[in-house]
Amino acid sequence: MSRVVTWRAALVFAVLAALPGVPGISQYSLLLAFDALLFGAIAMSLDLLIGYTGLVSFGHAAFYGLGAYATAIVLERGVLSLWACLGAAVLVVGAYALVVSYFATARRGIYFALLTLIFAEVVYTFFRYTQTFGGSDGIQGLPDARLWPGAAIDTPLRKYYLVLTYLALAYAVCRLVVTSHFGRVLVAIRENEDRARFLGYSVQRYKMAICMISALLTGLAGAIYPMRSAFATPDLMLWTESGEFIISVMIGGLGTLVGPVIGGAFFTILRDKVSSYVDWYFIVIGVVLIVIVLFMPRGLLGFRRLLGFKQWRATA
Amino acid sequence: MDYVVAVLAPQLLHGLVFGAALGLLALGLTVIFGLLGVMNFAHGELYMLGAYAGIAVIGWTHSFWAALVAAPLAVGLIGAVTEVATLRPMYRREPLYGLILTFGLALVFREGVRQIWGGDMRRILPPFTGSTPILGMTYPDYRLFLLAASSALLLAIWLFFTRTRAGIVVRAAVQDAEMLDGLGVDVRRVFTLTFAGSAALAALAGLLLAPVFTVYPQMGVEMILLAFIVVILGGMGSMGGSVVAAFVIGVAQSLFSLWMNPQRVAIAIFGIMIVVLIVRPRGFFGREGVLE
Repeated sequence: MSRVVTWRAALVFAVLAALPGVPGISQYSLLLAFDALLFGAIAMSLDLLIGYTGLVSFGHAAFYGLGAYATAIVLERGVLSLWACLGAAVLVVGAYALVVSYFATARRGIYFALLTLIFAEVVYTFFRYTQTFGGSDGIQGLPDARLWPGAAIDTPLRKYYLVLTYLALAYAVCRLVVTSHFGRVLVAIRENEDRARFLGYSVQRYKMAICMISALLTGLAGAIYPMRSAFATPDLMLWTESGEFIISVMIGGLGTLVGPVIGGAFFTILRDKVSSYVDWYFIVIGVVLIVIVLFMPRGLLGFRRLLGFKQWRATA
Repeated sequence: MDYVVAVLAPQLLHGLVFGAALGLLALGLTVIFGLLGVMNFAHGELYMLGAYAGIAVIGWTHSFWAALVAAPLAVGLIGAVTEVATLRPMYRREPLYGLILTFGLALVFREGVRQIWGGDMRRILPPFTGSTPILGMTYPDYRLFLLAASSALLLAIWLFFTRTRAGIVVRAAVQDAEMLDGLGVDVRRVFTLTFAGSAALAALAGLLLAPVFTVYPQMGVEMILLAFIVVILGGMGSMGGSVVAAFVIGVAQSLFSLWMNPQRVAIAIFGIMIVVLIVRPRGFFGREGVLE
């Protein structure tokens, strides 16, 4: 059994922590790095479901958006504490995720995907048309959150470290999950659900638990987003957003945790770079997606994963 | 009685009109789902392409009727090319890959249309105006034509699937493509032609509904979710179920909108869906255990 946190991961985080020290790095690049890492963190928490448990959630945008709205509502009320925002997000996303995961995990395969999708659409429709929460404009012009009174998270540098800390913690949680006995059971469910059930595991309870973990991690990422963007809009909950999360997981490579982080970052940076040159960047993204599915179905980390997976199987 | 004639009856008819067009869209989706095991995310974009191809043909020939013939053919051709180029290598892969692939295709189509025609709302004028007294109310002629044309098409498709050899081959491919291949049928050609046919149907639905709705690049995104709901409600892969469910959803939506504002209608439809998925996931006519 490998250690939960490997040296290689520690090295990557050290490099990321040193990134703002690169001479001449612009504020804009830091904010782009913020988006990339946040997107990567979400893809990583989604990988717990898709890659490890074999459940494709098409409703993660709702967890993300609800987290963002929780922060937006708290900040709008003049409560600037980061911890209050995160707490509110955990409560709201947790309550919603409990309902969704209870019903969605009762069904397998494509029904799980569709149930999560439709639940998310209900949430989207609610926020899109409720004027209390700004309707289609969402909640805009939010103040900066504070770590504690006097320590506002106001510069791109501080925001970058906020998201990096979050990514590190989320990565630790995910590693803990997948290296534990619990994680092994999830893989067993992915490989053969009936057999896992016959072995005496309460499959639905395991699925619900991992759904909750994944949803809460995504919700917390959502809670961090308005601290950089200063807004929360219903578009964050659109089902195409959920699609982009899945795409990031696929680009990076299923069931690798690190892969989806890279996939999410790659996707965010690609979107940003291409959109600054041409206004038809969706075509580029679509084509990249098609090419990856056709020619690199195992994602960017695919080759490594192929080897690692075999090795893992041999020892299992 | 006045309420029935003045409010309820037109709304019911609206629902039937919309349901019939939705049925065309959902039918293609359900057949493709049966064949490839994939929910085609690009189906809404084929629907949108139908409307834009219609605009192009109308601009060229000034005839709605010419568009009604040419647009589905053009989109069917696009569908065939897409199938051969991208979906064919997907047959033996996990359905998830097909999902992502069609998501990518949808992005390309949507943005391509925006580049060519711009992002503004457009309208297609109905080929005839005027209205007819029916059941004590007056109803627009075009909507009656829409209902008649869609229903006739649905009937024709039903006859195709039950009475012709080609239709039976497609149904056999939906049941078990490998077996059909073993029996000496060129399954790949069946897949390509079926995909093209489903694309043409989606395009037809898009063009027929265009004079009633507006045409814009995002129009497919709004419809596809409804079409998904119809397919699930009817039972995955069940063609008859899809048509029934399309009418149910069409009528439910238009009746609900009498008493609720649009977002409540949407939430109510989603609510119905959630209840069905939980209580009876195979839908109205689906086989038990399919993909569960």
